[in-house]
Amino acid sequence: MKSFQLIGLAAAFCMALILSNTFLCHAYEDTQCFQCHTSAKKLIEATREIAKARPALKSAETSGEG
Amino acid sequence: MESLAPHEKILVDSDIVDDENHGEIACHECHGGNPDDPNWKTAHKGVVKDPTYPDASTACGDCHDEINENYQKSLHVSLRPYKLIIDERASSNTVIRNKLGCAMNTHCSKCHSSCGQCHISRPNSVEGGFLDGHLFQKKPPMQEVCTACHGSRIQKEYLGEHEGLLPSIHKEKYMKCDKCHTGEEMHGNGKDYAHRYDVENGPKCVDCHKEIYKREAKNVITHRIHKDKASCHVCHSQPYNNCSACHVGKDKQGLAFFKTKSSWFDFKIGFNPLKSEKRPEKFVTLRHIPVDRGTFDFYVKDALSNFDTVPTWKLATPHNIRLKTTQNASCNACHGNESLFLLEKDVEDNEKGANKNVIVPVNLIPKKQKWQPK
Repeated sequence: MKSFQLIGLAAAFCMALILSNTFLCHAYEDTQCFQCHTSAKKLIEATREIAKARPALKSAETSGEG
Repeated sequence: MESLAPHEKILVDSDIVDDENHGEIACHECHGGNPDDPNWKTAHKGVVKDPTYPDASTACGDCHDEINENYQKSLHVSLRPYKLIIDERASSNTVIRNKLGCAMNTHCSKCHSSCGQCHISRPNSVEGGFLDGHLFQKKPPMQEVCTACHGSRIQKEYLGEHEGLLPSIHKEKYMKCDKCHTGEEMHGNGKDYAHRYDVENGPKCVDCHKEIYKREAKNVITHRIHKDKASCHVCHSQPYNNCSACHVGKDKQGLAFFKTKSSWFDFKIGFNPLKSEKRPEKFVTLRHIPVDRGTFDFYVKDALSNFDTVPTWKLATPHNIRLKTTQNASCNACHGNESLFLLEKDVEDNEKGANKNVIVPVNLIPKKQKWQPK
């Protein structure tokens, strides 16, 4: 095998490795968690819905310095 | 500090995928839940909001093994001194102690931190919310994390937010909390300290100001004369905030609340209640803390029946240091100046017993000086 063929093979191998790593690293980008939690619009809708259903969490009686 | 909008608290920055250390970890690996469920209500079943509290060994420990070994004893996580000091004041009656324990869990124990509540989000006690879209912060930002909790006293003193008082000179030198309070101190070293002033790698002024006792140093005489007699704060603090009469309870909706009666500015020098090899000074600055005989009355009467065992004027290291202060303007600005010292008349009658060891009798106030150093 000639040297330029070897270099080409090595380059193709490296490229494949990088692409597969990228794919693996970012696999969770497709998950529902990532899709929703990176979208302000979706979170605004969800948190408004939560706020309607949830009672106050903090007492209005707290006063003074803590 | 203003709260974030509800959606801002949980909005993730998509750049997290580029984080070379954490970007490979999928959300559900730490937080649980179902990443494939398109319905957010059911997808969140089993989700853990802060997977680093109370046990961070799975979420962080696999990689950060050294920190993982010790962090449970970090005072920010264990809150051990709080528990010990309340225990000292508490009644020995088991029924009362159990009720007190419930009250402590409802109120005091909420103010802890965790890996996540310093490096990813604001602490829960200030309503949380991601610091920067869940991007991991190696150094927690001062105002969103440190002073978010340590606000009433430390933040206002350090930043000079009290009317008529200057910020700390260290703030003017652009120093943030972590300059003195290192990660090593925050993460704990495995020792179960009974008091924050016992922490071995806690900051000491001389860590940076090494030269003050050297012959060629400015004010070397003054520093040498006062070494082990007065803490640095006695000469270099400005007046600081004091609180009293904290009472805790639950409102009609069952929500926990606290109320403090009053707060005031004062500067009081007293006897050192925590004299040690590390803090050998006779005189230190004392701050009135908000504890009261009736703090837990809502839950159980006479919970603190041994109230007098611990002073309510407590060793303090106010964060409003200045090179020049009113009391160090001259020797006699302090010597013989009764108003600077915690005298019996300054202490409430029902707290005189608790503070008997820190009150300075008038005859023990350092006498006026005829000699003045140049």
